[in-house]
Formats: sequence, structure tokens, C-alpha cells
Amino acid sequence: MTVFLASAGFGLITAAVLAVAAVGFTLQFAVTDVLNLAFAAVMTAGAFVAYWINQLGVSIWLGLVVAMAACSALSVVLNLVVYSPFQRRGSSPITIVIVSLGMALIIEFGIEAIVGGVNVSYTMSQGHTFHLGGLILTSVQLVIIAISVVVMAFAHVLLRYTKLGKAMRATAANRSLARNCGIRTDRVITTTWALTGALCGLAGTVFAIDIGSFGPASTDLFVVLILAAVFLGGPGHAYGAMLGALLIGVATEVSAAYIPPDYKYVVAFAALLAMLAVRPSGLLGARA
Amino acid sequence: MFRATEPTGRTPGIPAGRSRGWTAAIAAVALTGGLAACSSTPSGGGTGSGALVFADVAPFSGPDAALGPTYLVSCEGTVNAINKAGGVLGHTVSCTSADTRGDPADAVPAVGSMLSRTHNLALVIGCTSDEASAVVPIINSHKTVMFCMTGQSEFDHVHYPYFYRLVPPDLAESYAMTVIAKNLGYTKIALAFGNDIGSQTFVQPALRAIAKDGMTVVANETLDLNATTFRTEAEKIVLAHPDAIMTEALGSADATLFSEIKQLNGGKMIPVIGTSAAISPAFFQAAARAVGASAFAAAFHADNLVTATSGPAYQAFTQALLAVKGKVANAQTGDFSTYFTAPGAVHLYDGMNLAALAMIAAGSTETAKWQPYITTIGDGVPGAVVVNSFAQGARELKAGKKIRYIGPGGPTSFDSFHDSPGIFQIDTYSPSGAVQVSGNISAAQLRAVGG
Repeated sequence: MTVFLASAGFGLITAAVLAVAAVGFTLQFAVTDVLNLAFAAVMTAGAFVAYWINQLGVSIWLGLVVAMAACSALSVVLNLVVYSPFQRRGSSPITIVIVSLGMALIIEFGIEAIVGGVNVSYTMSQGHTFHLGGLILTSVQLVIIAISVVVMAFAHVLLRYTKLGKAMRATAANRSLARNCGIRTDRVITTTWALTGALCGLAGTVFAIDIGSFGPASTDLFVVLILAAVFLGGPGHAYGAMLGALLIGVATEVSAAYIPPDYKYVVAFAALLAMLAVRPSGLLGARA
Repeated sequence: MFRATEPTGRTPGIPAGRSRGWTAAIAAVALTGGLAACSSTPSGGGTGSGALVFADVAPFSGPDAALGPTYLVSCEGTVNAINKAGGVLGHTVSCTSADTRGDPADAVPAVGSMLSRTHNLALVIGCTSDEASAVVPIINSHKTVMFCMTGQSEFDHVHYPYFYRLVPPDLAESYAMTVIAKNLGYTKIALAFGNDIGSQTFVQPALRAIAKDGMTVVANETLDLNATTFRTEAEKIVLAHPDAIMTEALGSADATLFSEIKQLNGGKMIPVIGTSAAISPAFFQAAARAVGASAFAAAFHADNLVTATSGPAYQAFTQALLAVKGKVANAQTGDFSTYFTAPGAVHLYDGMNLAALAMIAAGSTETAKWQPYITTIGDGVPGAVVVNSFAQGARELKAGKKIRYIGPGGPTSFDSFHDSPGIFQIDTYSPSGAVQVSGNISAAQLRAVGG
């Protein structure tokens, strides 16, 4: 029981980090129509930006803000220079996916060329360790969970109550119709890249804080977890991504308590496949 | 920098009229292919006509990315010393590299590419346990001599004529770790090994040796090296209350595991016994940053092959490596002196010197002619003069003398499978990352646990 509770707690932390990334990824996908497989590589870039700031003796939390800004700018540039020209030429979605895969490799190897194959860690304290029943969490992990909750609330408020959020939803639903209704979809898309890029930088930094030691290839598997969370919840659905992240995060950690832990992702993906067999559009997606 | 970019070829032109979607797809695939090729670019730059090439076939990316640069430091240092001493039969020597990413699936095309683009390839070094099973047969069929850093037991009894190794089989290293645990008085052991081939090979011999020595395995966790956290695995280990953890999980895995164990264990590290692969600047730096240098140094022991720490062979070796300090890409991490005791750096240095001296002894760079001299020079013949460096050996050979090369890795004794296992010592780190020898492991101790 102790291991179960502890692993469930660990799953919450994994889910918190995953949720930030998954919400950013799914919003980006829904509005821009780009399944951006370079998302995790940009996360890594953000983690290293925060690391470099941190190495200057600056708090990692300030580094996090700089990473958000850097990834926001990088994502906008990525769209303007790479994805947008392909989309303007009418490239098929699979082409864009392959282009994004190429960009993921360019960014990852670019980072590796700069920092080498070494793993690094932030200079920071993990704070106090709290034992809550069977749960074992540090104050930094509680902060990560709090950040995740704030991001979820932000996404909710943005999409429900703001003009931009409504424009994003309209653009996601039907870009041509939205444009005909007077929505400046190009501006909405650029803003979406900026916003989701910032979320990407946030996710990258909290991911690196969470795992303790990271390198250029640390997010290689994480991008698969992001995809799993997004498709489990229903692609393009922010709330679905949150739910998917929670299920994937908890399932991987709890399963590791009872089976050989190198199979923990197998369990999560088996559950994903089973669920998609029943509901192909995901938990919160429209029924087929 | 010694790493240079190899031309990756041009993308063929695309006929007009093809759909734009296909154009983009082909461009993207070509881009991806180009990147993959970039990951295995040679390090030596232009080889020039007549220059001999030593190829470092090892991981430069992925979880075991620290291994390739370590071997490359050794290679660049060795060839620099060889060239300063006049080269080999009028040839200069250079290094190239192929990034296996620590994965057989990536290693095979990387080696194929390296073999096809490298002229005057004289020797292959590296071939770790991660990729040896896949690449050794290929290199062997290419009739190229290789000095490999694999301990995999399959090479104990399968004869590849061009395969040599100066390291013991992995099971011996598992026994050495068990001896360390016993010497330190531990009775409850947790195992935490990565799920890569190179790490998993230690597990079964360790389980047998621990049981035979009367100790208990209280946890046995296999760590997915691509995983981002090991909290649940760490919690299971902490709850099992081990006296020590035996581990090899390279990349960021061990550092992350140590950090999470420390957190879950009330801020205290559990003693760790690592393999010789943990003796590298990159490993120390990652672990020290994750849990604190002092905490890590106080809790850590590792087995390592006995290597010289003084004397003429050590002097020549350290001078060779120091000559390339700061000049090898991806090898500028932490305390450079750690390379002086890194098993790969030491033993591959010896292997390359043996090969170069064998060529001079044979008076030929044709593999068939110089290969037999590896054993002759390594094991020695009656009346041979002992030499401790390439320069010294080349001088003695020119003077018409027979030589026996004894480098910083100690004397060799090749068996019929070209294995020359060394003997073990126990290493620790100082908080600054310097490697310290805290004891030795005798052959009798290994036999006692191994049977």
C-alpha cells in the first residue's frame, strides 16, 4: 500500500509536468494545424536556456521566465520560417509531420553540438520533503503541481472567457469560416505559436527541474508521452490533454510499482490502444 | 577541434511536375538522413593520401554518449604521439569516428558508412557492449583489426580473427563489484541496471555471485534509460533498505536515480557500487550535480581495471593525452585527469600503440602482415626489450631489436580468442572528481565469488 500511494503521488508529479506540455501541444495542433513533433526539442532548448541563466547565479525561477520567452520566440520563428511556407504551398499534413521531425532532429543535434553529450543539473534546492500519508513530495514538486494547476486554469479562462480564446477556438474549428467572419486568423495563429511556445519553455524547465539531471536527448521519450496524453484525451482538446496527462502519468508510475519498471510505458500505451479501440477520437473527442 | 564534418552528398534534383507535397516530403527525409549522417561524421578531418586512420566506433550520443569522446581523447592523444615520433612507416595517423548512439540498429549503418568513406582504415577501437554484437562481425568481415571495449561473454568463446580486447568479460566485473560489497561489509544489495545490452549483461552474474557470497538481493530494478524519472524504482529500493546499490545506468539515468533516492531517503545517499564505466568525467559531473559532489564522493565505489599511476608508461600516456586537452569535441567536461584512469582511454591507448608498433615490426601496413605481431609485441618473446611507449618501441625496432610493449594498462597476455583480461582495483572519487585507488581485488577473490 505504501508503494502504491507513493507511486500514485509520483504519478501526480509526472502528470503535472506532462499536462503543461500536453496542453501547449494540443492547443498548438488545434489552432495551427501543425502536429509539431519538434515540440519536445524546443522544450529541451528551453531547459538549457534556463540552465545557462541559472549558471550565471540567477534563480532557476527567473531562468524559467527567460526560457518561456525564448521558446515563445523560437516557436514563432519556427512557424514563420519553416512550417508556414510549407503550409502556404499546400503541403499535406504528413509532409508537415515529417518536416517537424526533421526540425526536432536539427534542434536536438544543434543543442548537442553546443553543449556536448553531457548531462547537467540546475543549481537549486529541492526544499523540504513532505510526507502526506503515503505520498512523498518535496516543496519544489508541490510548486510544479501548483504551476500545472495555474496553467490549466489559465487555459480554461483563455479559451472560455477571452476574445483571443474564442478566436483561437473559431480558427481551430474552421479557419476559412473564421477568416470570413472577420477574425484575423494569421495573427491568431502567430499569437498561438507565441503562447504555446511559452508553455513549451515552461514545460521544458519544469521537466528538467523534475528529473534532476538532463541532456540534449532527455525529451526523446517524453514527446511520445505527450502524444499519448493528447490522443488519449482527444487531439485538439485542452481538457482532454489534461485528463490524458493525468491518466498516463499515474498509470506509468503505479505500474512500475508492480511490474518490471522498464515495462511501465508499455502498460500506459497498452491502455491507450485499448481506449482508442473503443473511442477512436479520445476520451473527450467527438464520438465517431 | 578534431571533429570535422564529412560531406554528406547532394540531394538529387527533383523533376519538374512532381507534386509539391512529394517535394517537401523528399526534402524533409533528405534533411533527416543528412542529420543522421551528421551524427556519425568523422573526427579526423581530411585523411590525406597515405595517412592511416584509426576509427573510434562508439556512442557519441544517447545514454552512453560519454564513451565515444573518452575513446576519442585517447585516439587523438595516441596518434598525436605517434606522429610526433615519426609516424608509422612514413605514414601519418589520424582519427575518425562513427556514432553508434549505443544502439545496434544505429550502429550498423554508422559502421557501414564509416567503412565505405574511410580510406586507409588501419584499426577500429571502441565497439562497446552496446553495439559489439552487431558491428564486430561486420568489421571482422572487412578484415580490419579492432580493439574493443566490450566484456560480453559471447566473445569469450567465439573466434573473430580480427577481434582483440584488453578488458575482462563482464561477468568478471560483476564479481569484482560483489567483492567490493563484501569488503565493505554489506549484506543487503539492491541492483539498478539500465535496460541497455551493455548494462544488463552484468545482472545475472551479479545475482549468482551475491547469492554465492551469502549476501541478499533485496531489490532488482531495471531502469529504462529513456525514462525521465525513476521515482517509483527509487522508492522500491529505499523501502528495501539495502546496504548498497550496485548499478550501471549511464546517461542521465544514474544521476536522476541517485537524486531521487537521496530525496526519498531523508536526504541521505545509499552507498553505490558502480562499474568501471562510471569512472569518467561526464559520469562524475552528472552525479555530483544531482546529489552534491561531497555526498556522491562519500557514497561511491567502483571497480576498475588496474592501470599504472606512475612510471614511464604512465608518463608517456598522460603526456600524450594532455597534448590534446581542450582540442577534442565533446570531451571538455570536468576534471581532465579522470581520463588517465578511464579504462577505455588507457586500454585503447595500449591497443593503438600495439597496432602501430606491429606495423613497424612487420615493415608493412597490410593487415595480414602486421596483425600477427600484435601478440608477439604484446606478450613478448625471449630476449625482447621492454618498451613503454610508441616512440621508445619505434626506436628499438629501428635498431633491429625485438620488443615487448608494456603500457599503462600493464602487460598483456592474449589467449586464443585474443582476450587479455587485466586485474581489478577499487576506485573512489574525491569531491573534486579526482579518481583515487582505495584497494585491489585479487584473482583469488574473484574466483571465490565467481567459482
